[in-house]
Amino acid sequence: MKLRNYWNLRDAGAQLWEGSNRKGRVTIALSAIVLVALLPFAGASFLATPIAAYDAVLVYPVGVFVLMALGLNIVVGKSGMLDLGYVAFFAIGAYTMALMGTLTSLNTWQIMPFGIAFAMVAGVLLGLPTLRLRGDYLAIVTLGFGEIVRLIALNSSWTKGPNGIANIPMPPDIGPLEFKLDDQKVFFWVVVVMILLTIWMIRRLSIRRPGRAWEAIRQDEDVAELLGVHTLKYKIWSFSLGAAVGGAAGVLYASKNLFIAPEMFTLNVSILILACVVFGGIGNIWGVVVGATILGYLPDRIRFISDARLLVFGIVLVVVMNFRPDGLLPRKKREKIGERAQARL
Amino acid sequence: MSDKILELKNLTMRFGGVTALDAVDLDVFKGEICALIGPNGAGKTTVFNVITGVYQATAGEIIFEGKSILGMKRHIIAKTGMARTFQNVRLWGEMTALENVITATDVHKRSGLSGALLGLPRSRREEKRDRIRAQELLDFMGIGHRADQLGKNLPYGDQRRLEIARAMGTEPRLLLLDEPAAGFNPAEKVELAALIKKIRDAGYTVLLIEHDMSLIMGISDRVAVLDFGIKIADDLPSNVQKNPKVIEAYLGVPADAS
Ligand SMILES: Nc1ncnc2c1ncn2[C@@H]1O[C@H](COP(=O)(O)OP(=O)(O)OP(=O)(O)O)[C@@H](O)[C@H]1O
Ligand SMILES: [Mg+2]
Repeated sequence: MKLRNYWNLRDAGAQLWEGSNRKGRVTIALSAIVLVALLPFAGASFLATPIAAYDAVLVYPVGVFVLMALGLNIVVGKSGMLDLGYVAFFAIGAYTMALMGTLTSLNTWQIMPFGIAFAMVAGVLLGLPTLRLRGDYLAIVTLGFGEIVRLIALNSSWTKGPNGIANIPMPPDIGPLEFKLDDQKVFFWVVVVMILLTIWMIRRLSIRRPGRAWEAIRQDEDVAELLGVHTLKYKIWSFSLGAAVGGAAGVLYASKNLFIAPEMFTLNVSILILACVVFGGIGNIWGVVVGATILGYLPDRIRFISDARLLVFGIVLVVVMNFRPDGLLPRKKREKIGERAQARL
Repeated sequence: MSDKILELKNLTMRFGGVTALDAVDLDVFKGEICALIGPNGAGKTTVFNVITGVYQATAGEIIFEGKSILGMKRHIIAKTGMARTFQNVRLWGEMTALENVITATDVHKRSGLSGALLGLPRSRREEKRDRIRAQELLDFMGIGHRADQLGKNLPYGDQRRLEIARAMGTEPRLLLLDEPAAGFNPAEKVELAALIKKIRDAGYTVLLIEHDMSLIMGISDRVAVLDFGIKIADDLPSNVQKNPKVIEAYLGVPADAS
C-alpha cells in the first residue's frame, strides 16, 4: 500500500494541484517554470553531460523531443491513432526553415508560421484519404508517408539531395537575448516557451468539445459516430495539430543546427518519439514530458548508452513496460466524487 | 396519433446469403412507445443498425419526419433527431457519466476549435449550458449522483440508464432502445418500465426492442413482431398476444433461447 502511494506520482501531483487555491497554483506553476528556465545554469553540477555540451543537449534532443512527443501525443494519446510517420512533419518544418532561410531574407520567426502551415497542410492532405482507415492500416500508411517525405528530400535537386542544406540562418536576437552556438540558453528558453504553448493548447482543448470527441473516438469510434461525433473532422484536427507542433519543432531545429540533411529524418526518429510517449505515459501530458526528458537526456548523460542508444532504449522500454504497462505516469482519470455526490451516497 | 415520425418501406438487408430483413414495412407514430419483438436472430437489432446508418440497406426506404435518411452519414443521422442505445452496453468507459452525456450534447454545438482554444464567450456559454443539461438528464434517469464516476465503474443497471441519458443528450425526437432491460431482475424491470413511460410522457417517441413480454404488454402502445426478418404482426399489444402466427414464431424456437 505504502509503496504504491510512493510510486503514484501522478496522483500525488494532481492532489497537490487540486488542493491548492488559485494563488497556490500560480505559485507552483511559476516556480516550476523558473526552475526549468534555470536548468542551463546547472551545467557544472551532476547534470553535466560528458560528451556533448550540456546546454546544447537541453535544446536537442531534450527540448525538441519533449515538444515533438507532446505533438505526437495529440494524435496517438488523445485520439488513439497510431502514427508511425511523425518525423515527416518535423522534416517539413525543418526544410521550410532551411529553404526559406537560405533563399529569402525572412528570419526564423517569420518562417515559423510557414513551417507550421505547411506541416498542417501536409497533415490534412494525408489525413483526408487515410483517416478513414483504422489501427494497423493507418500505422502503415503514415509510416510510408514518413519515408516518402525523406525520399523526396533525398532525391530532389531543390533540397540539395543527400548533401543537405547548409548555412541556415540563426534566429535574430530577441532584444538583449542573443542566440549563440556556444551558449544555447536562449534557444532553450525558446523551446520551453513553445512547450508551454503546446501544453496550454492541449489542456485547453482537452476539457472542451474537441478533447471529448477525441476521447470518445479513442474509446469507441463507432459509438462516437452514432452519437453524432463528426469523427473524420476531429481526427483531421488532431492530426494537423500534431503536425503543427512537429513543424514548429522542425523550424527551430533547423535554425539551431544550421545544417540539415535527409539522414536526420529517418523512421528511427518517429519510433524514438513514439517511445518517449509510450514510456512516459501515453495520453498524459506530464508523463509524456517526463518520458521525453528522460529518453532525450540519459544517452548524453551516461556515456555507454550513447554508443548503443537504440539497444539500451529497447531494453529499458521492455523492462519499464513490464512493470508499468501504461508508462511512468499513466493516464487514468481519477474520479472526483463531489460533495454533492458523497452526500447522496 | 396519425403523425408518422419514422417510416420503413420495403426495408431489406442481406448479409451474403443471410436475409436479416425481408421487405419490412413499419410506421412509428409521434409520441408512442412502439415495441419491436421477435425471437433471437429475428432481425430486430439489424433494424436499428440500418436506421442509424451502421449498415447500408440492400433495398427499401427509410423516412424520418418526412425526409429520406437513406445513405446519410451516421453522425448526420444522429444530428437529424434520433439516437440509440446498444444491446451490449457501449459506454465510453474511461469518461465520467457526465462527460458521456456532454459528449452527446456536443452534436448541436456551433463553436469550433478556435472557440475552445481561446475560450470565446460562445464556447464558454455552450459548455456551461450543456453541463447543466447533461446533469438534468442524469437526474431524469435517476443517476444524478453518479455524475462524476467513470462509466465503466457504474453498476450494470446504471450503465444501461446512462446509455439512455447519453442518447437523450443528442436531443432526439425518436429514441431507439435495444433491450434496455436485458439482465435486469423483475423489480428493476418494473422500475425501468416506469422510466420509459416517463420518457414518452416527456415528449419523446420510443422504438423499443425487448424480450420481456410483461414489460412490453405493460407499456407499449403498439407491438410489431419480426420473425426471420419478416414482419408477421403489427397491432395493439393485446391482439398481438393472441395472434397465432406470433405464438407459433415464439414456440418454434427452443423454449428459452434468450
Ligand atoms: N454484420 C452481420 N453480418 C452477418 N450477419 C449478420 C450481421 N448482423 C446480423 N446478422 C444476422 O442477421 C440476423 C439478425 O440479427 P439481429 O442481431 O438483428 O437479431 P436480433 O433480432 O437483434 O436478435 P437478438 O434477440 O438475439 O438480439 C441474424 O441471423 C444474424 O446472424
Ligand atoms: Mg438484437
